[in-house]
Amino acid sequence: MVKLLVCDSVTKKFGGIVALDKVSLEVSKGELLGLIGPNGSGKTTLVNVISGVITPDEGRIVFEGKDITRLKPHRRVALGISRIFQGMRVYPYLPVYYNVSLSARSVYKDARLARAKTTWALTITRLLAEAGELPINLTPYKLRMVELARALVTGPKLVLLDEPFAGLSPSEIDEVIEIVKKLNENGLAFIIVEHKLRYLMKLVNRVVVLNEGKKIFEGKPDEAVSNEEIARVYLGVL
Amino acid sequence: MSRLAFSKPSKLKRVGSILPALFIAAIYMLLPTFGLRGFWLDVLTRVNIFLLITLSLDLYSGTTFYLNLGVPFTVGCAAYSLALLNRYLGVPVEYAILPSAAISLVLSLVIFLPSLRVRGAYFSIMSLLLPIVMAGIVTSQPFSLYLGGEGGITYSPLFFSYARGLPVKERAFFLQSTYFYISSIAAIIAFIVSYKVAYSDFGFMMRSVGQDELLAEASGVNTVRVKLVGFLISSSLASLAGSIYAAMRPPVTVDVFIPANTLVPPLTAVILGGMGTIVGPTIANYFILLVYEALWDVIGRWRVVLYMCLLIVLVLLRPQGIVYYLYTKLKRLVSSKIAELTAGV
Repeated sequence: MVKLLVCDSVTKKFGGIVALDKVSLEVSKGELLGLIGPNGSGKTTLVNVISGVITPDEGRIVFEGKDITRLKPHRRVALGISRIFQGMRVYPYLPVYYNVSLSARSVYKDARLARAKTTWALTITRLLAEAGELPINLTPYKLRMVELARALVTGPKLVLLDEPFAGLSPSEIDEVIEIVKKLNENGLAFIIVEHKLRYLMKLVNRVVVLNEGKKIFEGKPDEAVSNEEIARVYLGVL
Repeated sequence: MSRLAFSKPSKLKRVGSILPALFIAAIYMLLPTFGLRGFWLDVLTRVNIFLLITLSLDLYSGTTFYLNLGVPFTVGCAAYSLALLNRYLGVPVEYAILPSAAISLVLSLVIFLPSLRVRGAYFSIMSLLLPIVMAGIVTSQPFSLYLGGEGGITYSPLFFSYARGLPVKERAFFLQSTYFYISSIAAIIAFIVSYKVAYSDFGFMMRSVGQDELLAEASGVNTVRVKLVGFLISSSLASLAGSIYAAMRPPVTVDVFIPANTLVPPLTAVILGGMGTIVGPTIANYFILLVYEALWDVIGRWRVVLYMCLLIVLVLLRPQGIVYYLYTKLKRLVSSKIAELTAGV
C-alpha cells in the first residue's frame, strides 16, 4: 500500500507532561484508521500535531513524501489534510453556507469551482436545505454535518475526525458511518478518534491504541478487542 | 440574515436596491447649491471625514474582533506626515495627501504586529498605547522643535492658492464647498469599498477569523494574510481621513493623536451602529455627530454627559448595536407596505 502519512517518533511535551512519547504511525491511501485510548492518552494531541495546530518537539510528519512538520495548518489543508475538532466547532454567526464555503474559497482560487465544491459538500452531508441557517438553529447532528462538509470541501486525501460520534443518537451515528464508508470507497483516508468503540471497531480497518502518550498497540480491530493490555487500560470498557 | 453567494439577486433587482442610496447621495451632494453654508457645511465636512475613520474601525475591528484602538495613531501620522512634507520638503498639500496617507499606512503596521501574538483586550491595550505615546513625543523636547509642540504645524490649506484669486466674499464659500465635495466623494467611495469588502468572500474570511481564529486556520484560511490585508484596507481609510483632514484644517496639532478626539466618536458610531454591518455605523456616524453639534445650543457642555449615559444604556440593553437593527426593521416595513400596495395592481 502507498504511504500517505508517516509520523516518525513524534514527541510533544507540555511543561513536564509528556503528551506524546516517540509515537510512530503510518496511514496508507484509502485506509480507515481508528485511534483509541483512555482520556489524556494523547489522541487529540496527535491529531493536533498532524493537522499543524501544534508543532512537535521532536520527530517528523511526512505527507505524501513531503516533510510537513513545520508547515502551517492552512498549508496542510491545501495539501490534503482536513480535520474536525472535538466538540462541535463552527463559526456561530455565519450561515451554514459560509461555514463551508470559506474553506473552499481559501483552497481554490477559482470562485466558481469553490461554489461548485461547496454545493457538492452540502449535498453529500444533506445540508442544502439548511444552507442559509445560522448554526444556533441546527441540531447536534446537523452541526456535525457542517463540520464534515467543511472538512470535505477542500478536496482532502486524509480526514482527521476527532470524536465524530459524540453527542449523536445511534441512528445518527449510523448515518455518519454510512457517509464515511461511502467516501472511503472513493479512496479517502480517515483517522478516527473515538470513545464509542462498538461503532468504531465495525468501521475501521486498523486500530492504534495510545496510553499515557505511548503507542501500546497497533493491529486489526478484532485483535485489539482480545488484547489484555488494552482491556486493562480501558478498565473493562472493552 | 447575511447575503448569501448562492442566492444573488438579479442585476435589475440589485440596481433597484441601490437607487434609493444613489438618490440620497445625490441630494446630499447638492446641499451647498440648496443654500447650505457656514457652520453646518463645515460640520458636514468633518462628519464625512469621520465616516472614513468609523468605516476603518468597523471594517477591521467589527469583523475580526481585533479592536484596534490605535486608529488615532494612523490618523495622526497621516496628518503630521502631510504637515512635515509641506514644511520641510515644500510639497504643496494638494500633492501631499496621497504620499502622507501611504507613509501613515506603513507606520501603522506597528499596530498590526502585536496581532500576530496577542488578541482580545491585550491587543486593544497595546494599540491604544501608540497614540498616547505619540502625543507625548510630539509635545516633548527635542521632537517638539520639529513637530511644532503644542501649537502644531501650520501651512496654507488645500486649494488656498486658488481661492486667493477670488473676491473675498466668495473665497470662504469656495473653500467650504470644495472641502465638502471632496470629503463627500471620499466618504461615498469609502462606504462602497468597505461594503464590498465586508460582504465579499474575503470579508467573510475576516469574520471567520473574528469568530474562531484557530478553526479558521485549521480549515484552510491563511489567517495572517487575511488579518494583514484587512488591516491595510482598513488603515488606508483612516490614513486618508488624517491626510484630508489635515489638508483642510491647518494647523496640525497633537489633538489628532488624542483618542477622545479621533477615536471616541467613531467608536461610539460603530458600537451603536452594529459592529461589522457597515450600514449601521454609517448611519450612526451621521446621526451621532450631527445631533451632537445640534445639542450645543440646547444643553451646552451637558451633551457629553448625555451621550455617555445614552451609550451606557444602549450597550447594556442592546450590545449588538441598535441602528442596523432599526434600519433592517424599517427596510422590511417599507418592503411589506410596497408589496401590500402593489398586490392589487
